[in-house]
Amino acid sequence: MFGFSNKKGNYAYTTTRAKAKKSLLLKEEDYNKMLQMSTAEIARFISDSGYSKEMIDLGSKIEGMDLVERATYRHMADSFKTLLNGSQGELHTLLAAYLEKWDNWNIKVILRGKSYGLSADDIRDDLVPAGNLSSEELERLIGMESLDEIIAAYCKDESITIPAEIMTQYKADGNLGQIEDYLDKFRYTRLIKIVSADTVASRMFLDYIRRDIDVRNFETIMKLKSEGIYGDKVLEYIIPGGKQIDAKFAKQLADYEKITDTYPDITQLDFYESVKDIIDNGGNPLEASIETRKFQREQAKKFSSEYPLSVLPVIDYMISMEIETRNIRTIARGLESGLDKETVKQLLVI
Amino acid sequence: MGAHDVTPNRSVLLQLKSRIKLTQGGHKVLKMKRDGLIIEFFDILEKARAMRAGVSSDYENAMHAITIARAVEGEVAVKSAAYALKADPQVNVTSKSIMGMVVPKVEADHLHVSMVDKGYGVISTSVYIELAAVAFEKLLETIVRAAEVETTMKKLLDEIEKTKRRVNALEFKIIPELKESERFVKFSLEEMERENTTRLKHLKKA
Repeated sequence: MFGFSNKKGNYAYTTTRAKAKKSLLLKEEDYNKMLQMSTAEIARFISDSGYSKEMIDLGSKIEGMDLVERATYRHMADSFKTLLNGSQGELHTLLAAYLEKWDNWNIKVILRGKSYGLSADDIRDDLVPAGNLSSEELERLIGMESLDEIIAAYCKDESITIPAEIMTQYKADGNLGQIEDYLDKFRYTRLIKIVSADTVASRMFLDYIRRDIDVRNFETIMKLKSEGIYGDKVLEYIIPGGKQIDAKFAKQLADYEKITDTYPDITQLDFYESVKDIIDNGGNPLEASIETRKFQREQAKKFSSEYPLSVLPVIDYMISMEIETRNIRTIARGLESGLDKETVKQLLVI
Repeated sequence: MGAHDVTPNRSVLLQLKSRIKLTQGGHKVLKMKRDGLIIEFFDILEKARAMRAGVSSDYENAMHAITIARAVEGEVAVKSAAYALKADPQVNVTSKSIMGMVVPKVEADHLHVSMVDKGYGVISTSVYIELAAVAFEKLLETIVRAAEVETTMKKLLDEIEKTKRRVNALEFKIIPELKESERFVKFSLEEMERENTTRLKHLKKA
């Protein structure tokens, strides 16, 4: 699935489709309108904004907020699949590697659901088939009896080898956490390997991925520190390949006992400006998660128009689509749960 | 038993005197117990008030955190993280004694589970889901502590009520009745004494 292709790829066709799709995405003013609507009105609004097929398909089975959430996920999955299936050569390889995160999402949903004892129908409802695995492959995984079987089959499908010590630990304590973390780390490592740095566009994409790793690593370090975990234990959860948070800097941050001790060092990070206000106001940098996402969004926007015949416009569309899915859900769920409009607006990534 | 339904003799009088002494002693002890329980109750009441406020604020925080998590990450992601949880909180109920009254002592284990042992991955689990999980763990801890204080308070109230009824029964019924019986026996004995004296005088004249 992830073998390098000698064919260059149909960039013109795929980027044109991606740009056409991007032009249909909701704009900031649409979100402002949605903030004034009820859940039913939001459902109606998104039906008229390109989600009608999914809303009709799912409308007979679910309703309310769940309908909005599942319809937006399905719309995103279908859009990604269309682009992935229409792409060829190295472009296909790049997109497949980028979308592997949704395979990871799905395998986690399946493993967690199975370990909890959910029925196949309940697990199926929560899947977002936006990655490389087809519905049939996911169905096959759901149909398997044991978690070991599912892990083995998934690793075989995706050419992943989980280290023996992680499997032994999992078998000893039944904690899927380590396997999930390994899959996440592996995904980033493979993505970095696949994106060759031979063109400026590829280098920009690689930069984006490495910044994404930095954001992830920063959040992981802060999450663990807030639990009182520091030192070498933290390093087990660090994704290699970050742009600024390399192994040395990660160790430096990990070794601090308290979150506040890291403040002088994190000022040198690119996304420091995103967390600065929260830190200055005495808040926890963990609360800046939305701000770091906005930072990442800005990074993607920057490269989207620079190299029109590269993977960048497609990736930019995919990021924008994911953000739209998230924003619609945030508005609908937030307003339905009684959050005030200002809070909901702050949670949006625009 | 009525105050007059006793056989007026010296033995009964001695018994009555002893019972009155015992009852008055018991009355004094029960009054002290009642006062002690009331003092204890006011202490617990303060704690319970603080606990209730704590439960309310922790509940609000937890609901706010889960609302944000559901909005930002979606119901599917939140549910999926919940399914992964391996933690199994245990609540142990033992007992302790306050002034002879048995009250529950509630303790909980494994309420807070470290992020690395929860059962889901640390890297990909959203900050918002983690913050919600921590907020609910804190709420659960507060609820368990509040359960102990609230139950103790209710038991104390019952005990105060019971003790008050006993004190009142002793003060207004049993002790007055015993005193009345004592007075009746004393009066009867004096009357019998006077009758005997009169009878002896009549016999002497005859």
